[in-house]
Amino acid sequence: MREQRRKDAVWRFLTYAFVITMVVVMMVPLYWMLVAATLPQEQFLQFPPRLIPGTAFLDNFAALQERLDFVRTIRNSVLIAVIYTLLSLVLCSMAGFAFAKYEFKFKEPIFYTILATLVLPIQLLVIPLFLLMAQLDWTNTFRAIILPWAANPIGIFLMRQNMKSIPDALLESARMDGATEFQIFYRIALPTMRSSLAALAIILFLFQWDLFLYPLVILETADMYTIPIGLAQLTGFQRIYYDQIMVAATLAIVPMVVLFLVLQKQFVSGILAGSLKE
Amino acid sequence: MTKKPDYARYGRRRLMKGAGLAGLAGLAGCIGTGDPEGGSGGGDGSDDSNGSDGGDGSNSSGDDNGDGGSSMASEIDVWGWDVAARALTISAEEYESENDATVSVEEFGRSAMKDRLQTNLLSGSGAPAVSMLESVDGPSLIDTGSVAPLTDEIEEAGIREDFVSGKWEALTVDGDIYALPWDTGPTAVYYRRSVYDEYDIDPDGIETWADFIEEGQKLPDDQYMLNLPEGDLSGVWRYQFRQLSGEPFLESGEVNIHNEKSLRVARNIKEIYDADIAANIEGWTSAWFSAYGDATIASLPSAAWMEGTLRAELPDTAGDWGVFKIPALESGGPRASNWGGSNLMIADQVSDEKKARGWDYLEYSLATEEMQLAMYNEYGLFPALETTYEDPVFDEELDFYDGQAARALFAEVAQESPGYRFTADTPEVSQAIETELQRMINGEQSPEEAIQAAAETVAENTDRDLA
Amino acid sequence: MATSDETDDRIGQGYRRRVRMKIQTATRQSRRAMRPVWDRVRFARQDLTAATPTLPRVAYLFIAPFFLLFSVFLAFPVFYTLYLSFFEYQGVGQGSLFWIDLGPVYIEIPQIAQLNFVGLGNYARLLGNDLFWQSMFNTSYILVIQVPLMIGLALALALALNASFLRLKGVFRTAIALPVSANLVAYSTVFLLLFNEQLGFLNYVLAGVGIGPVPWLTDGFWARNTIIAAVTWRWTGYNMIILLAGLQTIPQQLYEAAEIDGANRWEKFRYVTLPQLKPVMLFVVVLSTIGTFKLFAEPYVITGGGPTNSTITIVQYIYRQAFVNFNLGYASALTVVFVAVVSVFSVVQIKIGGED
Repeated sequence: MREQRRKDAVWRFLTYAFVITMVVVMMVPLYWMLVAATLPQEQFLQFPPRLIPGTAFLDNFAALQERLDFVRTIRNSVLIAVIYTLLSLVLCSMAGFAFAKYEFKFKEPIFYTILATLVLPIQLLVIPLFLLMAQLDWTNTFRAIILPWAANPIGIFLMRQNMKSIPDALLESARMDGATEFQIFYRIALPTMRSSLAALAIILFLFQWDLFLYPLVILETADMYTIPIGLAQLTGFQRIYYDQIMVAATLAIVPMVVLFLVLQKQFVSGILAGSLKE
Repeated sequence: MTKKPDYARYGRRRLMKGAGLAGLAGLAGCIGTGDPEGGSGGGDGSDDSNGSDGGDGSNSSGDDNGDGGSSMASEIDVWGWDVAARALTISAEEYESENDATVSVEEFGRSAMKDRLQTNLLSGSGAPAVSMLESVDGPSLIDTGSVAPLTDEIEEAGIREDFVSGKWEALTVDGDIYALPWDTGPTAVYYRRSVYDEYDIDPDGIETWADFIEEGQKLPDDQYMLNLPEGDLSGVWRYQFRQLSGEPFLESGEVNIHNEKSLRVARNIKEIYDADIAANIEGWTSAWFSAYGDATIASLPSAAWMEGTLRAELPDTAGDWGVFKIPALESGGPRASNWGGSNLMIADQVSDEKKARGWDYLEYSLATEEMQLAMYNEYGLFPALETTYEDPVFDEELDFYDGQAARALFAEVAQESPGYRFTADTPEVSQAIETELQRMINGEQSPEEAIQAAAETVAENTDRDLA
Repeated sequence: MATSDETDDRIGQGYRRRVRMKIQTATRQSRRAMRPVWDRVRFARQDLTAATPTLPRVAYLFIAPFFLLFSVFLAFPVFYTLYLSFFEYQGVGQGSLFWIDLGPVYIEIPQIAQLNFVGLGNYARLLGNDLFWQSMFNTSYILVIQVPLMIGLALALALALNASFLRLKGVFRTAIALPVSANLVAYSTVFLLLFNEQLGFLNYVLAGVGIGPVPWLTDGFWARNTIIAAVTWRWTGYNMIILLAGLQTIPQQLYEAAEIDGANRWEKFRYVTLPQLKPVMLFVVVLSTIGTFKLFAEPYVITGGGPTNSTITIVQYIYRQAFVNFNLGYASALTVVFVAVVSVFSVVQIKIGGED
C-alpha cells in the first residue's frame, strides 16, 4: 500500500516538475518581450541582458500610437477574427459532421481534395485572389478577408476526426425518436463536441489573426490594417523599431489571452459520460 | 423513360438559342477580346480597383475634366517608406500649395511596401501613381512591363544632364528610361576621430586597402577597424566591384562576375578577413549600432545617407566623425563608389491623367534644386541632382564632422561614381556571391573558386552564358 | 457503421420513392398539357433531381455552404497556379483578355500576364536545380526532428493536464498555449535576439553553466536547430490544446471499465487512451507535418535562409522565385510539385494512421 502511495507521489512530483519546466520555457521569450516593451531602444540589447522591466512602456506606446493608430489596428484584427471564427465554426462543423457520419458519393475524393488545399502556400494564391477581389470590387473590405478562408480545410478535418468518436448508436436512437438530421446535429452532436469546438475556435481565430501577406495586399488604407500589417510597417529600412514592435506584440497577445479565458470552461472532461445506455 | 428525348430536344434548342444570341452580341461589338476601343488595357490605378467604365475609352471616373489626354488628374497617391516618405511630404505640401491638386503620401515599412507594390503591379490593379523604386530593383521591375516609360517626358524637360550620370544606367532598359533619380549614395569611409588619433592612424595616409589593413593592425584585439558582416558580403562585394567600374553582366547579357576585377575584390575581402581587423556583426541591429556607439568599430564604409542615421541613432558621437574616400584597390586606382539611392517611378496601369500629374509632381520634387535641397537639409537624402552641388550648403563646415566639409567630399564622389548594370537577375547575383564568398571566408574555397562558382550558379539559374 | 447504412438506406428509399411518385404524377399530368413551357421546365428539373444521389440528400445540404465558398474562392487560384506552371512569365499583361459591354453593364477581364508556353520546361528546371534540392533537404531535416519532438511534448503535456490530480489546470493551460498568440514577426524577432551569438540571452545562460558560445545563427547545423527550437516553442501549446480536447471526448466509462478489469496506468493509456485518441492524433500529425513543410516566416526572419542556404525552406525558395525574381511560371511549377509531394505524404500518413 505504502509502495503504491509513494509511487503515486513520485509520479505526481514528476508530472508537476515537467509541466512547470515547460511553462517556464514557454514564458521566457514572452517575458523578455514584455521587458523589451518597457525599455527604451538603447537599453534593449545590452550584455548581460536586462531582466527587470523598465518604465518606458507608456512612452513606447505613445510613440507607437503616433506612427499608426494601433488601437484601431487591434480592433480591426479582433473584429475580423471573431466574425471569421463564428462563421467558419458553423460551416466547418456542419461539413465535418457530414463527412464523419454520412455516406455519399464522392465522399473520399472530395475530402482529400479539400485536404490538399491545406498544403498550398499562400504566397502564390495571393495574386489570383487579389485579382478576383479587384473584379468584385471587394478590395479594402473585411469580407474579402473573411470569406475566402471561411471554408477552412483545417476546420473540416478536425471536426471530422472528432465527430467520428460520437457513437452511432446515439444518432440512431435519436433518428428512431423522429428527430430530423438537423436536430441531431444541433442537439446531440454539437454539445458533445464542446472542447473540440473550443479548440477549433482557437485554431480558426489564430489562423485569421496571423494572416499577413493576403491582408497586406487587400487592405489599402491604414484605418483598415490588421496587426501583422501594422507590425510590418514598423520594420523600416534604416532602422527596426524594436521597442515599438515589442509594445505592439505584447498588446497583441491580450485578445488571445481573453479568448483562452473565455473558452476555458469548454475544456471539460467526460461529456459523454452516461450517454450510452448500458 | 420516354421523357428524355423531349427534354433533351428542349435543352438542345435552348442551347442553340443562347449561342445565337451570343453571336449577335459579338457582332454588335459588345463582346470581344483584346482592347475595348481606345483603352490602355488593364484596370485603373488607385481610385477604383475595377475595370474602367463605359465604352468611350478608358478615362476613369474620379478625374477632373475628362477631355482627352492633355489634362492632369487632380489627385494622386504616392507610396514611400521611412525617412524618404516623410521627405516626400515636404515636396507634396509645396506642390499642393502651388497647384490645384492633392498629393497623398503614404508611408509603409520597406519590405511590406515592396510586397504590396509588387502584387499590385503584377496583377494590374491597385498600384499608386507614384512610388519609390530602389535602383537595385529597377531592372527586374521594369522587365515585368508594369512601369511607365518616362523617356519622352525627360527629353522634353531636358533634365537628363542635370543628374549624376551614374544613376541612369540602372533605370534604363532597351534605351528607355523608366524612373527619375532621386537620391544617391556616394560612398566613403566614416571614421571615429578619437580612435584614429589614439592609435596614430592618419586617414590622409590611407590610399589603398593595403594601407588600410596595415593601419588597422594598430588597433588592439578588442577593437576593430571595420565591420565585415557575414550576412551581407554581397553588399561589400558590390560596392568594391562597382568602385572598379565592374559590371556584373556584359551588355550582350553574359555573366561577368568572375572577371579580374571581381577576383581582386574577392581577394581583398579575404585579406581583410584574414588580417583579423574586422568585426562580424549583422548590420542595422542594435548590436551593430552599439558597437559604433562605443567605438568598438572604428570605421564605417558607407554612403552619404548614413549621416542621417548616425545623427539619429548615435547622437553622442557627433563631432567625432570624419570621412575619407574609400581606399583604392591598388595605388592610383578609383576611390568612388555608390551604395543605394532610390528613384521615383510611375506605374503603367494608371490612367494618362494620373501619369501626367505624377510626372508633374516628379519633376517638381526631383528636378528642382529647391526641393532636392529641402529634402537634403531636412532628411539627409543626398541629391542625385548634380546642379545642386553648386549650392553653398555643400561647402559648409559641419560640426558633426569636427569642421570637415564632408558634403563637398560626397559631392565629388557622387560625380566620380561609375554606373552599374543592375538587371532583372541582380538578386541571383547577390545570392550567389553571398553564398560563395561565405564559403571563401570559412576557408572552404579560394577567391578564384568562389567567384567562378558564383558565376556558374548565376549562369545556370538565369539561362545565360559565361563571359 | 452497419447500423447507419441500414438506416440511411431506409431513409434514402423513402425519399426516392416519394420523388418517383412525384414524377409519375407530373408525367401523367403534363402528358395532357405538353405545350406550356413551364411544365417542360419543371419536368426537366424533376428529372435531374431524380438522377442525383439522394442518399441522404441532407448530407449535401450540410456540405453545401462550405463547398460553395470553397469552390469560388479557392478553386480559381488553384487552377490558375496549375495553369501558370506550364508557362514562363514575361511580364504584366497588356490589354484585356475578354470584355463584355452591354451599355449599363460592363465587364472586363484583363489579361493578367504575358505568357510564354514552355510546357514541362519549368518542371525540368526544378529537377536540375541545386537550390531546390537543398531547400527540400533543409525542410525535410527540420521536419523529421521537429514534428515528433513537438507532438511528443504536446501529448505528454496534454496527458499531464488531463490528470485528475493536477491543480491550476487553467493557469498551466493558458501559460503553455500562450506562445501561439505571439505574432509571427514579433516572436521571430525575439528569437533572433535571444539566439544572438554574442549578446543573446541563451548563450548568456549557457555560459553560466560553462558551455561556450554556441553559433546559433552563424553555423549551418546550429541554425537549423534554432529554427527547430523556435517552431517547437511556438506550436507545442497549440497542439497540446487540440490533443487535450481530444482526450476529453473519451468517455469516462471506458477508463472505469478498464480499471475494473485491473488495468494499471500504462495499460489504460495503451488500451483506452491511445486507440480513442487515434483520429485526433492523426489530425495533429498530419497538420503539423503540413505546417512544417510550409515553414516560411521563421527562416525568413530569423536566418534569412542562411547561413550558406542551410535553412532555406522550400516555400522560402518559392517566395524568392515569385516575389524577388518574378519567375511566376517557375514558382507555380514549384508549388505544384510541392503540393503533390506533401499531399501524397499526407495521404500516406492518413492511410497508415488507419481509417476505420
